[in-house]
Amino acid sequence: MTTGRALLMTSIVLLGVWPWVAPRYFVFLASVILVNAIVAIGLNLLSGYTHQLSFGHAGFFAIGAYTAAVLTLRAPHLPVPLTLALAGCITAAVGLAFGIPCLRLGGLYLTMATLAFGFVITEAILNLDTLTRGADGLRVPVARLGPLTLATDEARYYLVAVVTAVMVAAAVNLVRTRTGRAFLAIRESEIAAQASGVPVATYRALAFGLSAFYTGVAGGLFAFVVGFLSPDAFDVFLSVDFVVMIIVGGLGSVPGSVIGAAAVTLLHDGLASFQNYRPLIFGALLIACMLFMPGGVMRAVSRVARR
Amino acid sequence: MTAATLVHVVVSGLATGAIYALMALSLVIIYNATRTLNFAQGEMLMVSTFIGWAAQRAFHLPLIATLLVAVLAAAVMGWIIERTIIRRAIGATHWDVLIITLGLSLMLRAAAGLAWTHDEFPFPSFFGTRPIAVGAVRLTPVSLGIIAASLALMAALYALFTGTRLGRAMRAVAQNQRAARLMGISVERVYSRAWILAAMVGAVAGVLVAPVVFLSSKMGLIVINGFTAAVIGGFGSMPGAVLGGMLLGVIENLAPLYLPSGIRYSVPFLVLIAILLVRPAGLLGRLEPRKV
Repeated sequence: MTTGRALLMTSIVLLGVWPWVAPRYFVFLASVILVNAIVAIGLNLLSGYTHQLSFGHAGFFAIGAYTAAVLTLRAPHLPVPLTLALAGCITAAVGLAFGIPCLRLGGLYLTMATLAFGFVITEAILNLDTLTRGADGLRVPVARLGPLTLATDEARYYLVAVVTAVMVAAAVNLVRTRTGRAFLAIRESEIAAQASGVPVATYRALAFGLSAFYTGVAGGLFAFVVGFLSPDAFDVFLSVDFVVMIIVGGLGSVPGSVIGAAAVTLLHDGLASFQNYRPLIFGALLIACMLFMPGGVMRAVSRVARR
Repeated sequence: MTAATLVHVVVSGLATGAIYALMALSLVIIYNATRTLNFAQGEMLMVSTFIGWAAQRAFHLPLIATLLVAVLAAAVMGWIIERTIIRRAIGATHWDVLIITLGLSLMLRAAAGLAWTHDEFPFPSFFGTRPIAVGAVRLTPVSLGIIAASLALMAALYALFTGTRLGRAMRAVAQNQRAARLMGISVERVYSRAWILAAMVGAVAGVLVAPVVFLSSKMGLIVINGFTAAVIGGFGSMPGAVLGGMLLGVIENLAPLYLPSGIRYSVPFLVLIAILLVRPAGLLGRLEPRKV
């Protein structure tokens, strides 16, 4: 594991010094990548381990973002970590409330239900305009941490980086816990897990809640990073992007989620100058990636490493 | 609200629903053969309708020829996509193929935008829009025409699936691929025929619906309604796809009459979630037994 440890140390150092070496825009971009990485990890807990593909994670992301924004507006002195934790918990509660009745659904039916969930959430945001300002959009106040105000891109970046580090560490270490081992068992075979006494339904519901928690926290961070929320930013195409991240990166893998999030975010950003040709190139890259790297980047990496 | 208005709204709902049903059917045809959800179905419908429209403008074709051009273009497109891309991903998981069809849909929409811009264009219709009065009820020929044409196409599909060798082969592959192969059915040929057939059904739906919603690169989003319809009916079931489509169309048209504007757009999705909670495999779907 020495190469792994070296890689880990390098990435920690790089994360720490990034705002010192990179131009301001790239600091912002790095924050967006990290936020997306948290969502991808959360979605991967659900899809990679319990095989429940969700096309509604933009909905959870929106709930987290709006919760954090409204909390900061109404209770300006709440410290940021508490705001983010509350955003995560409220999103997780919604996730459980939606996920538990959906336990009976399998495969495409669940996917469709999550897709519908996403639409309903954007409609709800539009209509709860006393709270969310509807289609006009909501300006997010500056986050506060005691006497500190996180008003610069650098400050917000460090907030995002610390939260991401905690969330990644938790996800990596999850497999050492009872819950994590249950997820692994379910990933390999749901029936075998059930037969070995793993209460599959309970863990599937837990995966839903946990996934929503991650996505909600990421949504809260997103609100502070971009500073302005409007419902059309959370449409179905964002959900699709999240799914692309985990499949391109690799299902059921934490590093894969991070790689997928970085790849998709950077591609969207890098192709912006191609304007009308952007979706054409992005689509072609997706097809090429899946044809030449079935199973995603992580599968390809492990195949090369084994050789 | 009078009963006459109600009938009018239900009939136009059935017309919308017939289009959703055709979309759902083309999704189900491909899913039954290859077990993949074709995200690009809506964009294929859009592009083939655009090709028909472009041919009509270039050569001043009559409308029936436009339809034929669109259907032919769709068949060629379905065949090429299956041959050059989908078949190469034969070892890939369903999720990989899902991403491939997603990439395809992005590419097709972008290509259509480059070729024909992202504007909306009027499209000629087989049927008039001036309402005709049947007693107190006023019905538009375009609604009735869409319903009739869709029902005719569905009847043709039913005949194809029950009466021909190809249809029987497709149903056999849908039931059990390995057994079908052992019975001497060329599964690869069924794959390719399924893509062609689905694309053709989509093209007919596109030519029927384009006069109502205008021709534009955004038309492809109808795939979401088609998917919703197929899931309501029970994914994989063809009568289910028709039932789900009709139901969805009627609900969408009735909801604004009774409900405040705030939630009317959510109604189809709330109905979908409610149906799935009661019947987890859709109205006519069957839960697949779990196998080890």
